[in-house]
Amino acid sequence: MRRYETLFIITPDSSDDELKTIFDKFQTVVTTRKGQMLSYEEQGKKKLAYDIKRHGKGYYVLMDYLGPADIVAEVERNLRLDERILSYITVKLADQVDPESLKTQAAELRRTAKTEESAEAAPAAPAGETEREEEAE
Amino acid sequence: MATKRRRRAFPRRKVCRFCADSSLKIEYKDPKLLKYFITERGKIIPRRISGNCARHQREITVAVKRARQIALMPYTTSLPH
Repeated sequence: MRRYETLFIITPDSSDDELKTIFDKFQTVVTTRKGQMLSYEEQGKKKLAYDIKRHGKGYYVLMDYLGPADIVAEVERNLRLDERILSYITVKLADQVDPESLKTQAAELRRTAKTEESAEAAPAAPAGETEREEEAE
Repeated sequence: MATKRRRRAFPRRKVCRFCADSSLKIEYKDPKLLKYFITERGKIIPRRISGNCARHQREITVAVKRARQIALMPYTTSLPH
């Protein structure tokens, strides 16, 4: 098993429901390919250094997962197919990972959101608040 | 001046920031740190000016290039004038 991380950008006008569907989708993509999702962190809206498809802002998501080498192709194929995804980058973090050693971490997988970074973009979300509404449900 | 060559007048020794402080991690996801190593035009600052050691300069270069791919850093910027 290898450990990868994928950082991708979703259109800033996506609704909460859409963000949820994207999360569910990649969750299933990773698990059906015998992978394991370790974390899924929504970093919030950030300003893009340059416009992508005429968007000046983007919703950044960082996904950390384990899986065989061919999992990246499948994840990236799905990212490419989705019109809401503006851009993505995948980086290999480790070549040989023992899934057992990270099991506890994966068990408590959920969507986490960092509000500090998005505080400037979305003043409605106060910085320092660690939990978002969806997590409470 | 006493020195033969003028450019040796300021022998300011630059130390690699990352060797001096091992807690600093070079990551493409951290544009706040990386922006010290690019010019306002977006170019990567050479090692002889930034003072980085070869190893860390290489890491910076990779990180900046990755950050550019994901729009965390600019490839280029139009100057105000």
